[in-house]
Amino acid sequence: MKKFTHVFLMLFLLLVVAEAGMASDSILIKNGTIVPIKGGSNMVGDLLIENGKISQIGKNIKAPTGAEVIDASGKFVYPGLVAVMTAIGVTGYPRAGNDTDEVGTSTPQMDPYDAINPEDDCIEVTRMGGVTTVQTISGSRSVINGKSVVMHLGGTLAEDMIARRYVAQIFNMGATEQNKYPSTRPGVVSYLKTKLNQAKDFAKKQNEKDQKSEKGKKSENDKEDFSKRDLAMEALVPVVTGKIPALFITNNEVTIRNALAIIEEYKLKGIIRAGSGILKYADRIAKANIPVIWAGTESVPQRWESHDLNFHTAAVLAKKGVLFTFDSGGYGPGSRNVRNITTPAIISVAHGLSEKHALEALTINPAKILGIVDEVGSLEKGKIANVVIWTGSPIQGRSRVETVIIKGKLIPMTSFQTRLFKKFKKIVGERMKKK
Amino acid sequence: MSKKFFLILTALVMMATLGWAQDLALKGGTILTITNGTIENGTIVIQKGRIAAIGKDIKIPDGIKIIDVSGKFIMPGIIDSHSHIALTDINEATDPVTPQIWMWEALDPGSDSIQKTLAGGVTTVKTMHGSANVIGGVNVTIKLKYDRPIEELIISGARQQLKMALGENPKRVYGEKGRSPSTRMGNAYVARKAFIEAQEYKAKWDKYEKDKTAGKKDLTPPKKDLKLETLKMTLEKKLSVDCHTYRAEEIVWIINFCKEFGIDLLQISHCIDGYKVADIMAEAGVFYGGWVDSWGFKEEAYDGCPYGMQIMYDAGTKMVINSDSPVVGRYLFREAAKVLKYTDIPENEALKMITLNAAESLELGDRIGSLEKGKDGDIAVFDKHPLDTTTKCLMTIVEGEIFFDYAKQSVTARGGSR
Repeated sequence: MKKFTHVFLMLFLLLVVAEAGMASDSILIKNGTIVPIKGGSNMVGDLLIENGKISQIGKNIKAPTGAEVIDASGKFVYPGLVAVMTAIGVTGYPRAGNDTDEVGTSTPQMDPYDAINPEDDCIEVTRMGGVTTVQTISGSRSVINGKSVVMHLGGTLAEDMIARRYVAQIFNMGATEQNKYPSTRPGVVSYLKTKLNQAKDFAKKQNEKDQKSEKGKKSENDKEDFSKRDLAMEALVPVVTGKIPALFITNNEVTIRNALAIIEEYKLKGIIRAGSGILKYADRIAKANIPVIWAGTESVPQRWESHDLNFHTAAVLAKKGVLFTFDSGGYGPGSRNVRNITTPAIISVAHGLSEKHALEALTINPAKILGIVDEVGSLEKGKIANVVIWTGSPIQGRSRVETVIIKGKLIPMTSFQTRLFKKFKKIVGERMKKK
Repeated sequence: MSKKFFLILTALVMMATLGWAQDLALKGGTILTITNGTIENGTIVIQKGRIAAIGKDIKIPDGIKIIDVSGKFIMPGIIDSHSHIALTDINEATDPVTPQIWMWEALDPGSDSIQKTLAGGVTTVKTMHGSANVIGGVNVTIKLKYDRPIEELIISGARQQLKMALGENPKRVYGEKGRSPSTRMGNAYVARKAFIEAQEYKAKWDKYEKDKTAGKKDLTPPKKDLKLETLKMTLEKKLSVDCHTYRAEEIVWIINFCKEFGIDLLQISHCIDGYKVADIMAEAGVFYGGWVDSWGFKEEAYDGCPYGMQIMYDAGTKMVINSDSPVVGRYLFREAAKVLKYTDIPENEALKMITLNAAESLELGDRIGSLEKGKDGDIAVFDKHPLDTTTKCLMTIVEGEIFFDYAKQSVTARGGSR
């Protein structure tokens, strides 16, 4: 059996190599205004892509033989946008049915990897909007929801698209149950803490077991002892040991406070997704270096709050030095329009955020938060070639995306929406001719 | 009532009217008139709530309050022809036919949503019954005069619109209750049955009125029925119809249905599939009411296509961008900018979708939706061009009165954000 596994692994590796080989076609983008976000200043110049990576940025780069040359004169070259907390790949469209939010108050073992549908219509629509990398989460409605993956929106198999298998576990501090425990927010706190305590105990036992086996004292009982496996606990171990971040969904001041208390008590690598009430805790969050996913830009403030409180919040977060990104506009059905991840950034710029900070919040910041900043989030030599050519700044609603390159491959600028457009332009046109 | 009392009352009403409908001049801004191009460094004078003068070299009458808007952009107050703000109740979801419901009876002029919407440069909204019922209630078109008596908000003389809804919502609401309608066929039957009853009701009343006019004696009036009364008004074109529907076949169905019954169908809201039947909508003269790039948030919304606006524009379909939400209602100008992202529709036409077209969809094109002499003094002031999405609204003026002022109502003005 083991031999077979090896053979399969070899075959798989061969496939990966073959795939990489296919991506070796080089692309030279010429004379565009390059906005690298990090590692250099904006300049009019060229960007060379080879073997799926950015190999050179500069002036008058010579096109390698056989390279595809794209004239970007008058255009703007940005790194692909990175969106957190989407349901892309598991939205159920088309024809797959919903695959988000498994039943249960605690389902940390749920892994979107097991359900990614490379034909999800959201993929084409989203990348045509300049978003090239997303975090897909397994759910958001339970206290403990599950794992999340990072994927690039190019490829035909989940295996090709997924960049990281487990980037964060998703907790929801407001996920109260109806007519069963936990039905209150304090209930959620104690429920979650109990699970984390169990996970810590489990981690300790696992650790002891590992040490034993390292010392060669492996007993027959320990070997292949599936009765002692616990997939839920195994999924929480990297969280309580600080290896994998815990992403806390919060919606108000109370849930932010509860999330902060748990992050501090358990020394977790925390990420806070906040819908409102974040400003009161901004200093504490900045001091503790906790990244924020700010989801409240578009929300209507409370009656007593100023109309522009939420429009202005990102500007304050930036000023206080909080590492933040924007929420992708609602998990679930909102994932159809992750291309509108620019909307909260645009609104925030109108209300005091600098364009520089806004662009960082759409690129390098989420890359940092998701732990993939070595690969994406800026246009730098050696990074994965997720490159987008725009007619203007992404911070302008009218700017169009003209070219999308993901992992060094040109992406066709088509989606089911462009196909619908073509189809009905013809149908309506023909009907009008007859009249 | 004594004559004296009447005089005092009249004087009071006049004073109140004069006191409220202020005179105002905006000087030095870039004016986007919508109908007559752009006026650089222009002036608008508002007197008694109406635009008294607009142009480049306008003499401002003495004693008028002048606001310097140099470097700012002036556009007509934005109009949202599909909203649910300022209502205490939205859906009478107890029966698929509820035309007896009048939304002005749920109107709350002190609603915070009015203030928050004003901050997006919006001055007029059609605030509507929900979409639970095939035939819902009568919507109400209002000016956003925050916290004033409702008589000041409701636009007098405006023909109000009866809300209808097809598709998933009535199907779901009543299907889940084990009632009809639970299919699109059921929706169609419910609508047809109601209007046939209304035709019979109208015939009875018409006969009665005719006999009465003819001087016939001993007439018994037919029994009043509040549901059928509203539908009779619709058949008599005293009300028009705004129908919520997503799918192409339903759009064609409602156009034919309204033709058959002699009903004025003005707008199709949530018109996701409009582009598929753009020619048919154009021929019927019905407005597309909807969003720019929404899709897939429910099954029947799957085919939402932002490029489709180009097909509608080319076919001559009249288009309006709606919010249907207290959230998007605060930045309809940003939605209009997206039209430029997905289509080659000219800038002014995109702006029309939140101004003049919306005014026309409410049959108020002669009063609002553009900046012209004689029109209402409804104005939004922006710090940049309203299609530059990094702009923000600085001031919203309704009939010459400032109802929103960024300088006084922003976070910074209110002592910062902690």
